[in-house]
Amino acid sequence: MSEEELTFWEKLARIDRRVFYWILFIGLMIPFIRPIMFPISISPSTRDLYEGIKEMVEPGDVVVMNIAFGVSAWPECMPAFVSCAKLFIREGAKIIIWGSYYDVDLTYEELLRRAKEDFAKLKYGEDYVYLGYYPNMEASVAQLGSSIRSIFSTDKYGTPLDELPMMKNVDKATDIKLVVSGDTGDCCDYYIRQWRIPYGVPVAEIGIAMLGSSYMPFYKSGVLFGMSVGVRGGAELEKLIGEPGEATIRMGAINISHILVIIAVVLANIGYFASRGKRR
Amino acid sequence: MAEVLRREVVYLITAIITILMFIEFFFIGTWNVAEELRTWATIIANISIALGAVRLLSEHAKNIQRRRAGVWPFSIWLWIIFLVTLLSGLAGYVIKQDAMTNPLYNWLFTWPYTSLGQTLYAITGFYIFSAAYRAFRARNIDAALLLIAGCFVILTNAPIGGVIWSGIPVIGRWFLDYGQVPGMRCFLIVAAFGMLAYGFRALLGRERGFYGEVAGE
Repeated sequence: MSEEELTFWEKLARIDRRVFYWILFIGLMIPFIRPIMFPISISPSTRDLYEGIKEMVEPGDVVVMNIAFGVSAWPECMPAFVSCAKLFIREGAKIIIWGSYYDVDLTYEELLRRAKEDFAKLKYGEDYVYLGYYPNMEASVAQLGSSIRSIFSTDKYGTPLDELPMMKNVDKATDIKLVVSGDTGDCCDYYIRQWRIPYGVPVAEIGIAMLGSSYMPFYKSGVLFGMSVGVRGGAELEKLIGEPGEATIRMGAINISHILVIIAVVLANIGYFASRGKRR
Repeated sequence: MAEVLRREVVYLITAIITILMFIEFFFIGTWNVAEELRTWATIIANISIALGAVRLLSEHAKNIQRRRAGVWPFSIWLWIIFLVTLLSGLAGYVIKQDAMTNPLYNWLFTWPYTSLGQTLYAITGFYIFSAAYRAFRARNIDAALLLIAGCFVILTNAPIGGVIWSGIPVIGRWFLDYGQVPGMRCFLIVAAFGMLAYGFRALLGRERGFYGEVAGE
């Protein structure tokens, strides 16, 4: 069938994909030029994450922030991760940061940069430590539960853990109040299996949007005490801690992109039914 | 003899380690034998990263040596980037005990690596948008239901959904809580049983893929 013989709807169904790319590109520009803000409601999983930290963490408690996401997931995971770090600092927790993603150093540096004012109030070694990268995923997480020193004898900068004041009496999962894992994959599963189940350490998840469906059953069953899903979770946490930031701004782009997807799906289906009717 | 070493000894080591871990998890709690084995596993994993790098370099060296069409220039580029990253990182580590202190290493990660990583991830958004237009068609009742549920969930995730109609997040959350969660729970439980079966088959030496063997070999 030549191009002239095609109906409007058939032509619509054959639009070059680059047209869509440009529509989305231009659409995503709008909220960055002129922010489009709508009220953000708080989902139960994010509220539980926030309230769980507020209720469980007492000043002096040691918590773990696990970095299992790389730079590619910064836009999705970082806002919620930063908000959690700020919340821990406000609650007076001592933070251990480590990660199973090979570019964990970059994410740690970025975390310090984004929460600069909050970390400036803390003293390294006394209030927070950075232990660096651990390989071998689940086996290492299991081993960290029974002895942190068997995986990390020193911190990232070569200081023995016994010389770091906050690590003096910390070596096992039972010494840790709770774990927050930032994920793009299944690292939170390891903490559920190796820390939550055997030692009873509360675990929460900060994941990319795709992981929302994977971890929702764990949250609903109470295995995870809270969960932040994608940019939306980050924006909700920013609202809860009273510091609207990067994720809140990004919700404008989420609005535009999601509406465009819905319009595309509706148009495609109208075209599909119109051309199907013609064929009959 | 070599065949016995290649298979039966590997089966035996796997079986012994599995049993030790099983005993620790279900009967003891924390056991120093199991702890020692996990430390070994971490050390072996570290060594495997180095082995992986050596293997990668040797494969690309072969590409360069054989002038494999369309590949060898990229292999040269891989070698160059690998050596620059490795040497600059090592220099930073030797001088100040931290690779990130080397300006070149820091620059490589902060600018090219971070930008490329985030760009690659962002590109999927464009792909999904185009794919949604081409693939999400209500060809039958099942597809129509999936499409309707999907639209509600998409609009639930975007704050604009609640602005368009306050019922959208309510319906979207209903789909998530009563449609997606039970389905996912079912999938997780079945997958766990599947893993158990797979584990037993591996333990009995019947799961050859587990040992890196090709079926029918």
